[in-house]
Amino acid sequence: MIASNDTDALTAMLLARGLEAVLSRRADCGFQLLSGGQEAVAVGVACALLPKDQLLCSGRSIAPALARGLDPGSVMAELIGRSSGPCLGRGGRGHLSQPSSGFFGAHAVVAGNLSIAAGVALAMQARGDGNIAVCLFGDGACGAGALHETMNIAALWRLPLLLVCDNNLYSVSTPRAAALAPQRLSDLAAPFAIEARTVDGMDVRVVRAAALELATRVRRGAGPAFLECISRRFASHSTSARETRQPQELAADRELDPITRLENALLSEGALSAHAAQALREQVRARVKAACAFAEASPLPVPHEAFADVG
Amino acid sequence: MSVEVGNTSRVFFREAICRAVGETLDAEPNAILMGQDVGAFGGSYKEFYGLFERFGPARVRDTPVAESAMVGLGVGAAAAGVRTLVSITYMDFVLLALDPLVNYAAKARFKTGGQIRVPMVVKVTAGAKGQGVAHSQSLESWLMSVPGLQVVAPSNVADAYGLMRSALQADGPVVYVDHKRLFPTSGLLSTLPHEVPFGLAVVSRPGRNATIVTHSYMVSVALAACEQLAVDGIDCEVIDLRSLAPLDLDTICTSVSKTGVLVTLEEGQVVCGVGAEIACRVQARLGPVKVSRLGAVPAPVSSNPVLEAASLPDAARVADAVRHLTTEGK
Repeated sequence: MIASNDTDALTAMLLARGLEAVLSRRADCGFQLLSGGQEAVAVGVACALLPKDQLLCSGRSIAPALARGLDPGSVMAELIGRSSGPCLGRGGRGHLSQPSSGFFGAHAVVAGNLSIAAGVALAMQARGDGNIAVCLFGDGACGAGALHETMNIAALWRLPLLLVCDNNLYSVSTPRAAALAPQRLSDLAAPFAIEARTVDGMDVRVVRAAALELATRVRRGAGPAFLECISRRFASHSTSARETRQPQELAADRELDPITRLENALLSEGALSAHAAQALREQVRARVKAACAFAEASPLPVPHEAFADVG
Repeated sequence: MSVEVGNTSRVFFREAICRAVGETLDAEPNAILMGQDVGAFGGSYKEFYGLFERFGPARVRDTPVAESAMVGLGVGAAAAGVRTLVSITYMDFVLLALDPLVNYAAKARFKTGGQIRVPMVVKVTAGAKGQGVAHSQSLESWLMSVPGLQVVAPSNVADAYGLMRSALQADGPVVYVDHKRLFPTSGLLSTLPHEVPFGLAVVSRPGRNATIVTHSYMVSVALAACEQLAVDGIDCEVIDLRSLAPLDLDTICTSVSKTGVLVTLEEGQVVCGVGAEIACRVQARLGPVKVSRLGAVPAPVSSNPVLEAASLPDAARVADAVRHLTTEGK
């Protein structure tokens, strides 16, 4: 779904939250990086994209994939290794991909997708098709040389590339301030004269507005842009990583929940009734349930597929 | 140079590469060549000479010194449907680009269930020629163990052209390994477009007493050793692998079945080298045979000419190894 209005954005965030809730309760959920708390970044950015744009992301891919409109059933199937996933269950969360839906996809190496995204943008420029590539990455990637190499070439070649840093303030357990020297991560774009913004990543309307502004600029041929969204991750880094933050900090983060925030705004503005909000949640619950049923019904790959599609 | 001889012409190694790349840029209007100094400079070995003028700066792109991003962009563009050739002047520097090459390109087709393919070539120049410990390595054995990568290494003009043509038609990532000492060589090349398929080794010299399996510049070293051995009445067969992944085990085993003696020769390291893989696979198929593996000594390759020569295999050492094996037990 490409969420064009607030209700669609709310639905998209609820869907990601709901699917992850069910996934993380499964005994066979595997190694997952959840997007809980960071849905506004994925959804806000997806709102700014056209169908033939391509979104690339880090291994924290569930909300981005759903926000880009991938079918929740096939996403769930991929996450639990079933053959009905877009990657036939081989990629999993870390490498979730469906280019035909504008989701070039995840690459689970931190900073690994940055130059790939610039390459996708180069292909778009070579074809002159007017599309843009967007790369979503975490603050952890900002310490890697790949970002600087990529920004330099993207700026030189004026590539249609929007870089979006989803800064959740931690690389696993390492606080951002202990790992990265710049005041703001968007400052990293300045030496390359890349247009940059830092915004509140917990407000989907703010993310959407900034992403739209920068995407429009990139689409016009002005070269790359850099958007930093400050977010909070509600769970630990991954389903296998222990939580290192204090309960007070986690509770304060929860106060910023982007779903509650948008829902409350819509209720107070009269754009959404309490009844309609409840109905929306019911609809999403039903979709998640159907997605899980679809995934469950899909077979696991046969062992021989370990040798398929190599190269 | 390019002197017509019938329907062939005599060309330099670099011209053979240039012709294959130029034909691809002609045939595929979106294909892109990029790398350091590939533009107006014409490539570090002049192997892209004239392409910038023919195809322009959007398709023949000079890059900054940033191997990781160069290869990453090449991989990304190829994955999005634009064929790319990325040139890395020294094979040593492919180490800076292993993440996009090994972690993305080699796995893209598999990990996406066939949705994404990466039709790209990374051209690297291996071999020692006086440039020191970080500009002389032959690391092809590292890459031939990566599932999803194809690795080829021509030894002569015709294969330089034909393998590049095949590499630029492949639908997955290819590492094309050439060699500093091959650029000054020349040879005959058909004037008609043609390909050398991957996975087919060739017998460069037929012989009865021993099989030398080698590739790239070391083919000429093996042939020189054969001349010395012929004086002693030892008749060697030389197999030029051309393609390391896929590997043509059939041609190797046919030869070793006949000679009973296997010498592997490479410019890279012997430990976990191309020869280690071949020696193991040949014996798994044929049972025990006499084997010797030759390569660089286990030390860095210095720019000092005395030390460089001391660390690399030469014709005399190859001949000694063959003599030792063929006279063993006699």
